[in-house]
Amino acid sequence: MASVHESLYFNPMMTNGVVHANVFGIKDWVTPYKISVLSLLYEMTTSKIALQEKRRLNKLILPLQQGPDLQLGQFLKTVEDCCPQTAFAVKIRLNEMADGELKDMEFFFTTLPNPTFDSEAYKTSVVGLFIRHMLLAYNKLSFSQVYKLYKSLQHYYHMGVPTFVADDSDMDLTSTEVTIGDKMERELDSPLTFCVRNEDPVSRGPLSQKQAEYFLAKQAYLLKNDDNKALRPAKLQEELNNMLKFNPDFAEAHYLNYLNSMRVQDIYISTHSLLHYFDRLILSGSEGKSNGDEGYGRSLRYAALNLASLHCRFGHYQLADLALQEAIRIAQESNDHVCLQHCLSWLYTLEQMKGSDSSVLTEDSVKMAAHFCLPYLASLGIQSLVQQGAVQGKSAHELMDALKDTDILHWKHSLSELIEISLAQTISIWRMYGKSTMAQQQAQLLLNMSSLEPVNFGVTQNNTEAFAVALCHLAELHAEQGLYGGTTEIFKHLKEQFPPHTQHAKLWMLCDLKIQFEKHMNDGKYHLAQPLVPAIRAQNKTEGLYRKAQVLKSLSRTTEAYRILQKLQVHCEKTRCTETIIRVLLSTAELHWESSDFSTGLPLLLQALTLSRKHHLQALASRTLLHLAFTQLMLGVPEQALSVLHEALEPILAHGGIMDKGRALMLAARCQMALVATRPNGREQAAVAIHTLDEAASYFSTLNCKERLRDVRYLQARLHSSLGQTAQRNRCAMLFHLLDRELQTPRAPTDMRL
Amino acid sequence: MSKEIVTFTFLEFGDLVQIKKQLISVISLCKERGLVHSVKWASELAFALDPLPKDELPPSHLVSEEDVQDLDAFALAKSYFDLKEYDRAAYFLRGCHSKKAYFLYMYSRYLSGEKKKDDETVDSLGPLEKGQVRNEALRELRVELSKKHRAGELDGFTLYLYGVVLRKLDLLKEAVEVFVEATHTLPLHWGSWLELCNLVTNIEMLKSLSLPSCWIKDFFMAHIYTELQMIPGALQKYQSLIEAGFSKSTYIISQIAVAYHNIRDIDQALALFNELREQDPYRIENMDTFSNLLYVKSMKPELSYLAHNLVEIDKYRVETCCVIGNYYSLRSQHEKAALYFQRALKLNPRCLGAWTLMGHEYMEMKNTSAAIQAYRHAIEVNKRDYRAWYGLGQTYEILKMPFYCLYYYRKAHQLRPNDSRMLVALGECYEKLSQQVEAKKCYWRAFSVGDVEKMALLKLAKLQEQLTETDEAAQSYIIYIQEIFSCGEQLEHVEVSTALRYLGQYYFKNKLYDEASLCAQRCCDYNDAREEGKALLRQISQVRDQTETPSGELFVSLSDNNTPIKRVSPLNLSSFTP
Repeated sequence: MASVHESLYFNPMMTNGVVHANVFGIKDWVTPYKISVLSLLYEMTTSKIALQEKRRLNKLILPLQQGPDLQLGQFLKTVEDCCPQTAFAVKIRLNEMADGELKDMEFFFTTLPNPTFDSEAYKTSVVGLFIRHMLLAYNKLSFSQVYKLYKSLQHYYHMGVPTFVADDSDMDLTSTEVTIGDKMERELDSPLTFCVRNEDPVSRGPLSQKQAEYFLAKQAYLLKNDDNKALRPAKLQEELNNMLKFNPDFAEAHYLNYLNSMRVQDIYISTHSLLHYFDRLILSGSEGKSNGDEGYGRSLRYAALNLASLHCRFGHYQLADLALQEAIRIAQESNDHVCLQHCLSWLYTLEQMKGSDSSVLTEDSVKMAAHFCLPYLASLGIQSLVQQGAVQGKSAHELMDALKDTDILHWKHSLSELIEISLAQTISIWRMYGKSTMAQQQAQLLLNMSSLEPVNFGVTQNNTEAFAVALCHLAELHAEQGLYGGTTEIFKHLKEQFPPHTQHAKLWMLCDLKIQFEKHMNDGKYHLAQPLVPAIRAQNKTEGLYRKAQVLKSLSRTTEAYRILQKLQVHCEKTRCTETIIRVLLSTAELHWESSDFSTGLPLLLQALTLSRKHHLQALASRTLLHLAFTQLMLGVPEQALSVLHEALEPILAHGGIMDKGRALMLAARCQMALVATRPNGREQAAVAIHTLDEAASYFSTLNCKERLRDVRYLQARLHSSLGQTAQRNRCAMLFHLLDRELQTPRAPTDMRL
Repeated sequence: MSKEIVTFTFLEFGDLVQIKKQLISVISLCKERGLVHSVKWASELAFALDPLPKDELPPSHLVSEEDVQDLDAFALAKSYFDLKEYDRAAYFLRGCHSKKAYFLYMYSRYLSGEKKKDDETVDSLGPLEKGQVRNEALRELRVELSKKHRAGELDGFTLYLYGVVLRKLDLLKEAVEVFVEATHTLPLHWGSWLELCNLVTNIEMLKSLSLPSCWIKDFFMAHIYTELQMIPGALQKYQSLIEAGFSKSTYIISQIAVAYHNIRDIDQALALFNELREQDPYRIENMDTFSNLLYVKSMKPELSYLAHNLVEIDKYRVETCCVIGNYYSLRSQHEKAALYFQRALKLNPRCLGAWTLMGHEYMEMKNTSAAIQAYRHAIEVNKRDYRAWYGLGQTYEILKMPFYCLYYYRKAHQLRPNDSRMLVALGECYEKLSQQVEAKKCYWRAFSVGDVEKMALLKLAKLQEQLTETDEAAQSYIIYIQEIFSCGEQLEHVEVSTALRYLGQYYFKNKLYDEASLCAQRCCDYNDAREEGKALLRQISQVRDQTETPSGELFVSLSDNNTPIKRVSPLNLSSFTP
């Protein structure tokens, strides 16, 4: 803190309370690095260089001139790659200056080629301008500044060119009389300083303006696109503090600080930094620009809007609402339609987050955005509408049409981010409809798509929410097919790409828990599934309740399960969460079965069927049909059951999960068994049933679902017995016996469950 | 020689003579070492005590062998030091071994580094480099001092210097430890205590420090209580110090005045400052605070006199510039005021008050962006400056961003939890955001912590009126009126009339006519409410007439029961209809 005070010296060029960063109106300052570039230019104009090398050097000039300051070592290396001879000459020249006296540097500046019409460095060329700029800047320096420049040149040279002088010059002073204790301390210290040094040239003390800008730009880009590659939050914070200590006016650093604290969910620092940033921005906005007043008010509006988004991120919807109202009011007062559109899009997002219907607002937003030619906001609105429409059961072709239309817009304006979202949305919609193949195909499309944005810093943008969603769906699809190996791989990747502290990590966490839960339930390890329930509940309350009911049902604590399901149904009807309602209905029906009350479940199942058909939820519809067929079987109408089952069998085998496939086939076999006695071709029927059971068994064995496998073996044994195939019967009976011994739990009556 | 002092240190207040002796000896010690501010402080205190008789004067210090050896070099170096030629002083002291010489040697090196740093800032090599200017000597000093420190060779003064070096290097934790050690070795050196004051940020930290029990600790505690805004504690401490015999000390008077200023007890503070000016007419320190008070009281002639007086004494002092800035501000010449605050900052960029005051000036000039910058600078200098936070809040309030300014007001409130102004400001913001519940809480809290401007209750009442919480509103108005009349002076009668008007109507509605007529009569005392008051009085008398008839009616109805012949009251016409 103290040194911040010290650094606040009064700027002589402060007018009207605003400090101008540019004290003498010079954009370029002579730095040691610039001197190295100048000497390179000097060498290039004076000495003879082969054409090939000259060409390479010429290509190098622009990036060197306009890029951030480099370390001498880096600089020499880049030059050396093009032309070793010149690099050597440059080094010699710098050495002359650094190891010589002040006059050597002064001499160098006087000998610099004066850009004229005839020389290679033409007066108005890039190089000519640069040289003239530098000369001008150098000539403006006062004596003490020149001396300081020389000192820093010496420092720069010795830092870049390792000589006998110890690398860390600040330690030199102590080393004259090092005691043993000190030596130990030094040894402890030095590896630390070394790794800091090797890791990133940035982490040492002050940076030049350009270096700082480059650093900020790079880190901000990384934070946006792949924050695993950015510096660790703590480290980045340290860097920023360092930067701000040396230049408290560097507003962008505050913004990066805000982004960084958002990463670690620190509301205090992020609010503080955000406000600080805008306080600073308001200043720079009003500084001298032609549209001074405009820029100033503008940043105010966006400041309020950003504050709203911050509160939204942290789930403070009421505060976000207030901030948003404020932004809207200011934007309205100053007739800023673009800002208003942004506000509107936040408004409907906020409404949506609060759980209320916002489709009217969204439609308005889309219309207005289209009117003001804001393609980004327009298609964002359409996507939001599609999402709402999908939940509300709009017809599939409308949704897909809308998405297709926006896609055209995205490609036209190359809005790669929105393309990703659109693909992710398609995946989700296909999944919701129960078309796993289509979903899979879209997921692959998204994951294999190369981004439209230019690749900077070796990072492609692949840590957006869209990617997380796609990967989660993919994991679930794999799990449904019993490919747990693939699922684990996907989660490993997700964990790397979205570490637990990041924003989108919750997506995969919930997904992971759900998959584990399902797996344990299938295996019949309820005691393992039970501890997962609170974890799921922490992520998603509704889902957690539903899972709890499932566990309770499996543990035969029927009354408790029933109560929870009732509560859940009421809740979901309020929030219009159709998928959960259907699942709750199915579970309730299953509860009724447990008490052998099959007819009570029927109306529930029929309700579920209507709902799922209305919302085009094919997977759930087929599952409901399965339940219906089972009920009919139990009610003693196997023929009806079989015909209902046939309706569901095809979609299930085509799209359903492996568990559903197995269950459907087993049910089919049981219907066939029930028909054996009545049909004339009983034996054939029985043989068909055995075959169907075999198929079901193969599905169950991939899932390693031993309980159901045991049921299958039992049924098979009985069938074989009725056919008089003793050998096969004995084999099945033996398999059954083995499984039974392994499971140790008494076998639930097969009739009672699907 | 420091041993000699250590033996004294565990004295209690009782012996003022001893204290005086200690002060005299420490003055000479500090003087030898060029610690001018500590000398000043100690001398001021010593001056406030009765003079000692000749034979009781403390003997001049024992001179050690080493001191004798270094005598000439030290004298030479000290003369160079006094002439601010620090490098030269250090050069001649480099071979000396005595502790005194060693301290001066290190101190010269430190000051030389500081001076160079200040000079450097003027011609830096680029915009980003301006923050990079550092006192290059610090690192070396730290290395050398830490070595000696580990060996236990540092005396009180060098410990102090070591602490200062650590603080400048931002090693605050270590610095606190060293300063505490310094106060233990040499409790009489006020500089160490003062540095400690700047480093202690909260009361918990203060409690965790183990400080030597010496009379000087009471001064320290009082000072730090003022810093930490624990004014009652500070005032109590200072009072006990005055009673112990330091009643003549200008230092204590000024400190008490500042403390009163901090709790906005303006009259007390003004009286003390006037006393101070009488005792010490050429004093410039704290005069900026004095001018703030005069400004708040809008005492133009006094402020103008003070400004002229200070300009005569020394016009290139930060305090003088602040006083002149205040003077111009009071005369609504805000450009000039800003100019003078800028000048103050030029003289000392770390001057916190000037940044804030400049922010206020820019606010007056409607230059919000410059105001924001000034306030931000103030916050950078001291994060705990509540006025700057409050100012930022006000700026955004002017820009019509009530939600946005909530954050700033909240910050200010955090720093001054018992200041009603922040609470009222917060309440107003909440009211604008139509968060009435929060607003009511704020206003009520503002009243409970002692409302300075007496506005909180009125606002609360109006809010309750809006929310049609009539009883609560009436209650608030009643307390408001009581408050206003109990404080004696009439502030703004307009608002009293509003309260009276409301109360009149309220009582009228609740059929408490006596109270209502009382309120209405009081209303008539105020111009703007006279007509309404009269109207209400008329209404009351009308209703009273009517109520008399109904009471007659009641009587009639009662009598009706007795005499069944006259069944219908004269007003009841309905039954006459056929």
